[in-house]
Amino acid sequence: MTEPVRNVRFSQAIGEAIAGEMEADDRVLLLGEDVGRSGGVFGVTRGLQERFGEQRVRDTPISEMAFTGMGVGLAMAGYRPIVEIMFVDFVGVCLEQVMNAMSKIPYMSGGNTRVPMVLRTAGGCIGSAAQHSQCLWGTFAHLPGMIVVCPSSPYDYKGLMAAAIQSDDPVIYIENKRQLNKMSNTHPVDAVVPEGRYTVPFGKAKVVRQGSDLTLVTISASVGDALRAARLLEPEGVSIEVIDLRTLVPLDTETVAASVAKTGRLLVVDEDFHSFGMSGEVVARVVEALGPQALRQVARHAMPDIPLPAARTLEEAAVPSEASIIEAVRKMK
Amino acid sequence: MTANKHALIDHFRMMLDMRHFEEACLEGVPTREIHGELHTGIGQEAVAAGLAPWLRREDALVSTHRNHLHALAKGVDREKLLAEIFERENGLCGGRGGHMHPFDPATRFSATGIVGSSIPVALGFAYGFKMEGVSDVAVAVIGDGATNTGAFHECLNMAAAWNLPLLVIVENNSYAISVRFSDVSATPTIAERAAAYRAWGRCVDGTDVEEVWKACGEAFDHVRGGGGPALLEASCFRFQGHYEGDHDTYRSRAERKRIRAEHDPLTLTEQRLLDAGAATQEELKRMREASRSETAALLATVRAAPMPDASGLHRYSFVGV
Ligand SMILES: Cc1ncc(C[n+]2csc(CCOP(=O)(O)OP(=O)(O)O)c2C)c(N)n1
Repeated sequence: MTEPVRNVRFSQAIGEAIAGEMEADDRVLLLGEDVGRSGGVFGVTRGLQERFGEQRVRDTPISEMAFTGMGVGLAMAGYRPIVEIMFVDFVGVCLEQVMNAMSKIPYMSGGNTRVPMVLRTAGGCIGSAAQHSQCLWGTFAHLPGMIVVCPSSPYDYKGLMAAAIQSDDPVIYIENKRQLNKMSNTHPVDAVVPEGRYTVPFGKAKVVRQGSDLTLVTISASVGDALRAARLLEPEGVSIEVIDLRTLVPLDTETVAASVAKTGRLLVVDEDFHSFGMSGEVVARVVEALGPQALRQVARHAMPDIPLPAARTLEEAAVPSEASIIEAVRKMK
Repeated sequence: MTANKHALIDHFRMMLDMRHFEEACLEGVPTREIHGELHTGIGQEAVAAGLAPWLRREDALVSTHRNHLHALAKGVDREKLLAEIFERENGLCGGRGGHMHPFDPATRFSATGIVGSSIPVALGFAYGFKMEGVSDVAVAVIGDGATNTGAFHECLNMAAAWNLPLLVIVENNSYAISVRFSDVSATPTIAERAAAYRAWGRCVDGTDVEEVWKACGEAFDHVRGGGGPALLEASCFRFQGHYEGDHDTYRSRAERKRIRAEHDPLTLTEQRLLDAGAATQEELKRMREASRSETAALLATVRAAPMPDASGLHRYSFVGV
């Protein structure tokens, strides 16, 4: 008899990483709205308050500026806080502490002050329109000083969270709302989440599908969409190599460039806004690394530069999906 | 109390229409006509209904994620509002805003999905009214959770410092999603914070529409009369989960049942009408039925309207686009 494969929700994979690190290091603590008694709006932190107590798993008022700044202070005082901003959109009210304190203090202090803090938040589209569906990873990556993690597979959700908590640098860890309630076995690759503690290193992109005609670079939930699209396009005779960046900062240019050197064609798919973001950056890095002549064709498929509309018909026309990725690839042929 | 028989019947009708409007919204969830989060004000009707008669068209009202009843109180067109919530092209905002982001310049109504962010916008209207020397009032309606944002304190301070016509109405339903107000707040009430800003402040039973009406009257008198900002805290109960789909595990089944049984503003008002002899059981039943069938007709109209066409995706992004 073979062991049945463990099938957990994405949310649980993150919760396991947090629990494991809290168990191993009592300086790790958690602050945020609804993280305690209810276990989080996506159930990520379920059971943690019972297990580690109210001091270490603290339900906060809706005072993001205060508790994000508290995270900075706690980190400076020797703790390893995990601060949850429920949806990434809400970072607007406390961006000050993120962009001027958390991410700048390590450098401004000449390295004498470390800020080992994790800002956990959920991005991506769940149909709740302009103020509740953004990704914003490109925004954080643009601001210097923080590691930007956007996991895609259940294995990485856990391993990258553990790495984030262990990191001595400030980390923003952006989950995707589209995935959190899903079961791990719905993801096409790396769907098994080991029970024990492990980490996944930052700055190592993963080739999640081998191919020879086109390099498709993406991140977060779009990795799953891209893999499904690539499979469906196979019968049309296109062989797509899919790369999951895993972290935007640091960005693994080497892995992407090596692939493009082979395929000569690059498509970047991004659920974040089109302009001044990840897709432009990836293209620029590849051009810098290989020279413009290495690229026969380049395209970007990203969220258009508009606030996400509420209506489903408009949303479907805006947000990159398996179907729209297929279209984007077909346009390149 | 009998002096207000008529007013009470009007209040009752308004609350009925509000309840049915929210119930119509619930119907859009399983069908995915409303395909994102939906927050309803079921159980909180007495606050909006008690506020409504004091609102003038020129007054501004800025609301929250739980905004439908405030929109109705402000006189926003019911059909356009429901159509927006149902993501239709003929909605208030062409289906672009959706249920959390309705904007209606005609009635000076707007809302935001970001907690606490309605108050600064109302402050802007208040500043304008003061500059213009008019007696209009800027109203921010917020939940108890929003009173712990920095914006709440910043705005009350500025409004008081500059004597601005800002009225902050707090619907205190004791919970911000799962977090109890009392677990994360320094003061037992919100209204008592008004004193710190030398603003007018008081509490009212937000399930009693007559009490809300009276308290709003005092608050509007104060603000319209040039007395500066006011803070009215209306205690009430949210019947549904925070949003449709919320498992609501932070409240016991018994608590949820008790809330519906004991604190329903509609039942309370009905009883009062009966006790005062202002209406018979039969009349109340007819009112309920009339309101229900009107709302059903409204919902059918909205459902027949078209969804926005994908070709209009970029429309409205800038002036002239
Ligand atoms: C700045 C910000 N933080 C968090 C949220 C998520 N959120 C939406 S509603 C809500 C609770 C609001 O509670 P309250 O103000 O009491 O209003 P209620 O929902 O009870 O009507 C939270 C935390 C948000 N929308 N904006």
